[in-house]
Amino acid sequence: MSDLATYLLSGLALAGSFALVGSGIVVVYRVTHVLNFAQGSFVVFGAFLSQTFRQLGLPPGLSELAAVVVVGLIGLVVGAVAIGKPGTHPMTSLLITLGMSLVAAAAIIAIWGQNPVSPAGISGTVQLFGAEIETQRLVTLAVAVVTLAAMSLLFTRTDIGRALTAAASNPRAARLVGIDTRAMGLLSFTIAGVLGGLAGVLIAPTTAVSVTSDLPFVLSALAAAVFGGLRSPWMTFVGALVLGVTGQLVAGYANGSYQTQIALIMMLAIMIARSRSFTAEEAK
Amino acid sequence: MTRIVIAVAAVAATVAPLLLTDQTFFVQTALTALIVTGLSLFMGYAGQASLGQGAFVAVGGLTVAVGTVTLGIPPLLALIVAPVLGALVAALVGWPLLRLRGHYLAFGSLAVLLIIQTVMATAPLFGAGVGIFGIPPLSVAGLVVTDQRVYSYVALAALAAALVVCHNLVRSRFGRGIRALAGSESAAASSGVPILRSKLTVFAVAGGFAGFAGALGAFFTPYVSQDTYPPFASFGYVVMAVVGGLGSVWGGVVGTLALSLWLQVLSALSATPGMPASAGPILQYAGYGIVLVVFLLFVPRGIVPTLAGLRLQRRVVPARAGG
Repeated sequence: MSDLATYLLSGLALAGSFALVGSGIVVVYRVTHVLNFAQGSFVVFGAFLSQTFRQLGLPPGLSELAAVVVVGLIGLVVGAVAIGKPGTHPMTSLLITLGMSLVAAAAIIAIWGQNPVSPAGISGTVQLFGAEIETQRLVTLAVAVVTLAAMSLLFTRTDIGRALTAAASNPRAARLVGIDTRAMGLLSFTIAGVLGGLAGVLIAPTTAVSVTSDLPFVLSALAAAVFGGLRSPWMTFVGALVLGVTGQLVAGYANGSYQTQIALIMMLAIMIARSRSFTAEEAK
Repeated sequence: MTRIVIAVAAVAATVAPLLLTDQTFFVQTALTALIVTGLSLFMGYAGQASLGQGAFVAVGGLTVAVGTVTLGIPPLLALIVAPVLGALVAALVGWPLLRLRGHYLAFGSLAVLLIIQTVMATAPLFGAGVGIFGIPPLSVAGLVVTDQRVYSYVALAALAAALVVCHNLVRSRFGRGIRALAGSESAAASSGVPILRSKLTVFAVAGGFAGFAGALGAFFTPYVSQDTYPPFASFGYVVMAVVGGLGSVWGGVVGTLALSLWLQVLSALSATPGMPASAGPILQYAGYGIVLVVFLLFVPRGIVPTLAGLRLQRRVVPARAGG
C-alpha cells in the first residue's frame, strides 16, 4: 500500500514538471501556432544556470530566480530568431527552433561540458499517506499548480492575456484593433522560457539534468500538451498527471524506467485518435 | 550548363570508388543522399517535415540484420524486401498523421524512431542492446561480394535510380497533382487531387528510399544496434534537405554533399592542436544548428532552386533589355 502511495506521489511530482514544460509549449503554440522544439533546452539551461549562480555566491532562492530570468531572456532570443522575420511559416519556425536547440546544445557543452548537473535543492523528506517523499518533489508539484493557475488567470483576466489570446485566435483582427501580434509572439516565447527554466530549476535537485536531457523533456512535455490539443494548460496538466503516474507505476512494478517511451506511445496514440475525429481547427 | 555539371558529377562519382582506398565515406554519403532525396521530395511537396526519417532507415537495417542473421533468408532477398518494408511502415505512420497539421507528423516519426531504438535496446530478437553482429556480405546466386567497391556502386546506382524516380514522379500527372497541392491544398482538392493519398504516396516513396539505404548500410557495416540510428542523424537529414532545396530533384544530393564537406571542415578544425576535447561535439551541434537557421532565414529555398532562379533571372533580364 505504501509502495503504491510512493509511486502515486512521485508520479504527481513528475507530472508537475511535465506540466510546466508542456504549458510552455502550449503558450507558444496558442499565440504563434509554432511548436517550439527548443522547449527542452530551456529546462537544461535552467538546471545549469541555477547551479552556476549558486557557485557564484547567490543565496538559495535568489540563484534559482536569477536562472529563471536568464532562461526567460534565452526564450526571447529563440523567439526573435524563430518568428522575428515577418511571414515565417509555422513549419519553418519549427525547423528554426530545432536549429536553435542544436545551437543551445553546443553552447551548453561549451560552457558546462557534457556531465549531468544536480544542484542542491530543498533537503528533507515529508511523510504523506504512509509514504515518504522528498520535499523538493512536493515543492515542484505545488509550484506547478500555482503557476498554471496564475497562467490561466493571466490569459482570461488581464488585458495582456486577452491580447495574447486575440493574437492567437485571429491575428488579422488583433492587428486591426492595435495589438502587436509579433510582440505577443515574442512575449509567449519569453513566458515559455520562464516556464522551462522554472521546471529545470525545480527538477535538477532530484533528477540530474545533462545536455542530452532536452529531447526526453520536450517529448514528454509535448505528449502532455497534445493531450490538451496543444491549447489548454489545464488539459496539459491532466495529460502530465496520466503520464507521470503511469511512468512511476511502470517503473515501480515492472522494473526499469520507460518514462519517455510511455510518453512517446501516449503521444502517438492521442495523435492517431485525434486524426480520426479531427475538428476543423486541427485540420490543415 | 546544367547538363554539363550533371555529366561531370556523374563521371566523378563513377571514378571516385576506383581511386579511394577506403569506401566508407563514399558509401555513407551516397546512402545519406538517397535518404535526403526522398525526404526533400516529401518536405517540398507535402509541406510537412519528418524529424525521424531514421525510423525507416532502421526498418531497412533491421530487415537485413534479422532477416539474414536470425531467419537465414538470402541477402539479396533481404535487400529487396527492406525498401518495401520501409515504405510500408512510412505509410502506416503517415496514414493517420498526415491528416493532421504538419508538426504532428514531424514528431510522430521522431516518436517512432525512438520507440524502434528502445525495442532494439531491449528485445532479444532485435539485438537487446548489444546489437546484431555477423551480417553476411551481399551475395547474388552464390557470388559473394568481397570487394567493398561493389557497395559504392550499388549505392550510386540506387541513388541514380531514386533521382530518375523523383524526376519522373514530379513530371507525371501525379507530380502535377502534388505540385498543385504544395501551392494550395484546397485548390488542388477542388481540382480533384486526392490530398491524403498523394502525400501518403510521397511519404512512402521517401520511406522506401530510407529503407534501402538502411539495408545496404547494414550489409556494409556489417552490424546494427540502436546507436546506428541516432535522432541526431535524422535532424541532420532535415538540415541537408533544407540546405539543398526542398522539392527539387537534385536538392538532396547537393545538400548532402554541402553538409558532408562542411562537417569535414569542422572536424578537421576540431582536430587541430590546442582545441579542447569537447570541440568535436560543440562544432558538430553548432555546425548543424547554425547552418539550418541561417538557411531557413536567408536562403529559404535552398541552394539548387536559388541557383536555378539566378540563372533564370540572367536569361530573362537581357531579353527584357533587348525587347
